[in-house]
Amino acid sequence: MNNSSETEKIKIWYRLNFLKMKAGGDLNDESVGYIAPLAVRQAQAVINDQEKHYYDETEALIQNLEQTWSQILESESEADTEILQRIFINYAHNVKDVARTFQYDLMADFGESLYNFCTKMTIRTDAQKAIIEAHLKVIRMTFKTHIKESIGEQAEELKSLLKIAIEKHLQ
Amino acid sequence: MEPSDPNSRTDPYDLSFFKVLIVEDSQFIRSIIASALKAMGINQVFAVHNIAEAKQKLLQYNAAKSSHNIDVVITDWLMPEGDGSELLSWIRSHKIDVIQFLPVIVCSAYTSEDLVNKARNYGATEILVKPVSAQKLANRILYVIDKPRPFIQAPGFFGPDRRRKNEKYIGEERRKTSASDIEEDHEQLE
Repeated sequence: MNNSSETEKIKIWYRLNFLKMKAGGDLNDESVGYIAPLAVRQAQAVINDQEKHYYDETEALIQNLEQTWSQILESESEADTEILQRIFINYAHNVKDVARTFQYDLMADFGESLYNFCTKMTIRTDAQKAIIEAHLKVIRMTFKTHIKESIGEQAEELKSLLKIAIEKHLQ
Repeated sequence: MEPSDPNSRTDPYDLSFFKVLIVEDSQFIRSIIASALKAMGINQVFAVHNIAEAKQKLLQYNAAKSSHNIDVVITDWLMPEGDGSELLSWIRSHKIDVIQFLPVIVCSAYTSEDLVNKARNYGATEILVKPVSAQKLANRILYVIDKPRPFIQAPGFFGPDRRRKNEKYIGEERRKTSASDIEEDHEQLE
């Protein structure tokens, strides 16, 4: 998209605000509205209630990550590897998203770290593979131990394990 | 948030006639957003898992202006089968105006300046930073209702004005178009 100086013609559309009308206001009403606080609280309660599915959902995502990783390791075609890697990245992204939604910060941090690492490169070298495996290991351990926060002795231990693995293989 | 100034409405919005389309590849996140919107009073929430299905839904409900139109799209940015930019490009270049001018809220966990600029340059109306919460969803929907921006067509861009009306623009002035080069279109009631 172009961000340079714009000297050519431009057109501006001023649209009628039908959404305001649909929400109970008038077309030319410039007042600021609100959503009933009770409805917002109920919506948050609905979100919070979904936390009971967090472990099942995350277990499935981790299994998908692990299975896709095995397929990447076995893949002999560059094209297949690229497709599998996209799928793998998406699972990492979802691990992070689901964890962040319910404040499972340590899991979210590991999911994000895995996502960031994979999006920067096509995984080819042994060192890169070792870093992915270190991520999978700490993700699995975080899941098994039910650690939620990104602080505390156990969390620091897992973060340190990953950090050591990354530093070792990036050298 | 209840009204605190004299320009505020006294009654809350009634969202029961709103139709919202959610585009999100994660079934779990999709169902969380859909349930939250329904709890907020939005009766019709469509949830699809990829861009192809989103296009299909929009063509089905927004082929012509009617009370059945989808009113707002909430889309994830990063999806395995095409990202949010692809959907935004399709929407903003569509020849049917109830698709082209749709408010699109981009939902992403990655809010680097790059991504925000990219989403805005593709014509996003609002950006919602994950994790999703009811208050964030409500705020974005309120922005769409209360603070609609005019659409701008300029070289290389079509979408809601990237400068908000109530905010003073700080930075290098890149708009050098003279008044005679600006064409305005004011939508009229039919």
